[in-house]
Amino acid sequence: MHLVVQALILGTLTGGVYALMASGQTLIFGIMKVINLAQGAYVVLGAYLTMSLFQWTHIDPFLLILLTTPILFFVGAATQWFLLRPLRPADATELSLLVTFAVALGLEGLMSVMYKTTLRSIQPGYENHSWTIAGYQVNEVRFYAFLLSIAMLVILYLILQKTKFGRAIRATVQNPMSAQLLGVNSNLVSAFGFGLGVATSAAAGAVFGLITPFNPGSHYDLISRLLTVVILGGLGSIGGSVIAAMVMGVGAALVSALSAPVWSDFTFFAVLIIVLLVRPRGMFGAKVRGAL
Amino acid sequence: MKLSNTKVSKRGMITAGVLSAALITSSLLSTVGVAANAASPLKIGVSLSLTGDFSDSGLAAQRGYLLWQQEVNKKGGILGRSVSIKIVNDASSPDQVVTNYTNLITKDKVDIVMGPFSSLLTIPASRVAKRYGYSFIEPAGGGPKVFAEKNPNLFFVQPAATTKGGDVFADYILSLPASQRPKTAGYVKLDDPFAAPLADNIKARFEAAGIKTVYDQTYPSETADMTPVVSALAAKNPDVVVGGTQSADAFAQVKAMIQLKFSPKWLFLSNGASSPLEFPQQIGANNTEGVFTSSDWYPKSTAPGTAAFIKAYVAKYGGAATSIDSTSTEAYSAGTLLEEVAAKTGKIDNKTIIATLHKGSWPTLEGNLSWNAYGEPQGSYLLTQWIGGALTTVWPKATAQHAPVAPKPAWKN
Repeated sequence: MHLVVQALILGTLTGGVYALMASGQTLIFGIMKVINLAQGAYVVLGAYLTMSLFQWTHIDPFLLILLTTPILFFVGAATQWFLLRPLRPADATELSLLVTFAVALGLEGLMSVMYKTTLRSIQPGYENHSWTIAGYQVNEVRFYAFLLSIAMLVILYLILQKTKFGRAIRATVQNPMSAQLLGVNSNLVSAFGFGLGVATSAAAGAVFGLITPFNPGSHYDLISRLLTVVILGGLGSIGGSVIAAMVMGVGAALVSALSAPVWSDFTFFAVLIIVLLVRPRGMFGAKVRGAL
Repeated sequence: MKLSNTKVSKRGMITAGVLSAALITSSLLSTVGVAANAASPLKIGVSLSLTGDFSDSGLAAQRGYLLWQQEVNKKGGILGRSVSIKIVNDASSPDQVVTNYTNLITKDKVDIVMGPFSSLLTIPASRVAKRYGYSFIEPAGGGPKVFAEKNPNLFFVQPAATTKGGDVFADYILSLPASQRPKTAGYVKLDDPFAAPLADNIKARFEAAGIKTVYDQTYPSETADMTPVVSALAAKNPDVVVGGTQSADAFAQVKAMIQLKFSPKWLFLSNGASSPLEFPQQIGANNTEGVFTSSDWYPKSTAPGTAAFIKAYVAKYGGAATSIDSTSTEAYSAGTLLEEVAAKTGKIDNKTIIATLHKGSWPTLEGNLSWNAYGEPQGSYLLTQWIGGALTTVWPKATAQHAPVAPKPAWKN
């Protein structure tokens, strides 16, 4: 029983981290119908940025998110403006796969040149601290990451639901032509929306760098997990991706701890296949294409 | 076109004359070249992973090869011929490594080739060398599949096949009096042709000696989060934990143990903990104490030439002896073997190298090496332990700098 509860705690906290990473991915799909294969690379870039700034300034990595978020916002907005916007609308969804994959490879190459392929991690000194609560271990960093995930998701929700920019995004998602007729600059909204999705990688990268060693090639594993999370949750549904991330985190931890680690990823993919067979749009995929 | 009807012009005659003169001159020059061969540089070709997944180790091997080139040339080269190493980049790709060695042999016409980094690249590279009858002294491909190739031209420049890296830990544990030995053991292994068999070898010996296995699991290479695995391991509370690890997973295992406050009495990691720089950086310098691993070289080694090697290395690349990656030492040792063959036989060609190295024992920085028919070294590794913040040899007793520290001190944070 102790093992089950410990696995539940570990899985929930890990799920929170994946929810944070996947929220940007699903936001980008919701806004632009772009399956962003570079999201994992942006997370790794966020981790490197945080690491460099931490080594340089010694400011706490969680505080550095305030600095790295705008940087990644502009990186994302520039990617959309210069590389995705010029694509012909008719081919945009398919071609954006190639473009974002090229961006991922480019970022990987750039990071390899700058940082080499040595494994790095962010070490503020408390990265391995755990609280013992009733005999269970709760890792501090993962707990903070979990809280951060919730905070980021609430902020995203508020931006989308309560601000003029959010309304413009939702209008563009639901009907780009009508939105444009009503005065929404859909090009700018798309660039800002993509930037917002990529900006979440700043927080996700900081957390990722704190809990696991990384190098430029880490984005391959990340993107495969993020894609499965957003597909399971339903492409475009932020709430769905949160729940899917929790399912993945808790499921993987339980199978790893109680059965065998070799089955943990397989179990998750088996769940994914079953959900897609029964409900092809994912657990919470919107019936109306593009609704957030 | 009928040749008999073709007019031979004056211009054609001149062209033919010039061509003939050129041919005669070139043949004369090549004759001179043969005569001057004794003083021509000894060309050695190597493919290394200067980019890609293995680039850290590839660059370490490059430092070793280039340092040896510098040192051997200071001494006047080999048999009066200066050594010129051509290093090409394979970007950690098993396909590119084949192209590289084929080009080195057929286009660059190097005299000798030496090995790349990793078993993955050594296997296809050694096939190319065998096809062209080249010897293949290689510093960093020691997995079982390398020797399964049954390539008589291959010589692995480390003390033993890499899967035997755990034998010294088993030797040490089983040397303890029965009352002091661990009673239970846990095995956490990466699904990898090097890491898992190494841990399985230890497990077989422990079980035969009555040490009960309470946990034995293999994890796939994409496992980034080791905490669920380690939580299950910790629930069994084994006395000794054997991690069949590479690098990232080794760091993740230790971090998970620290986070879950599980500190076994003995902890052996096959790889990852042997990295003098990365291991303390990744898990925190104050958490390394007491962790066992195995090594082929250490800075305080008494092998002849060690002090000179360290001095030259630090002078060329900076840093300290403790920061020298053992891959640099292995590549350097591959070079010194050529010197020894030349010194013993007075010749340096592939047939001589292959025939000579198959006989006797050869002193290197890695210790005295000898090989079976297919290049598998017949020695054993050294058991090292992190003591006082440095990797320290603790077994076998003859080479130990310090007695093994057990039980392992608790994690510091």
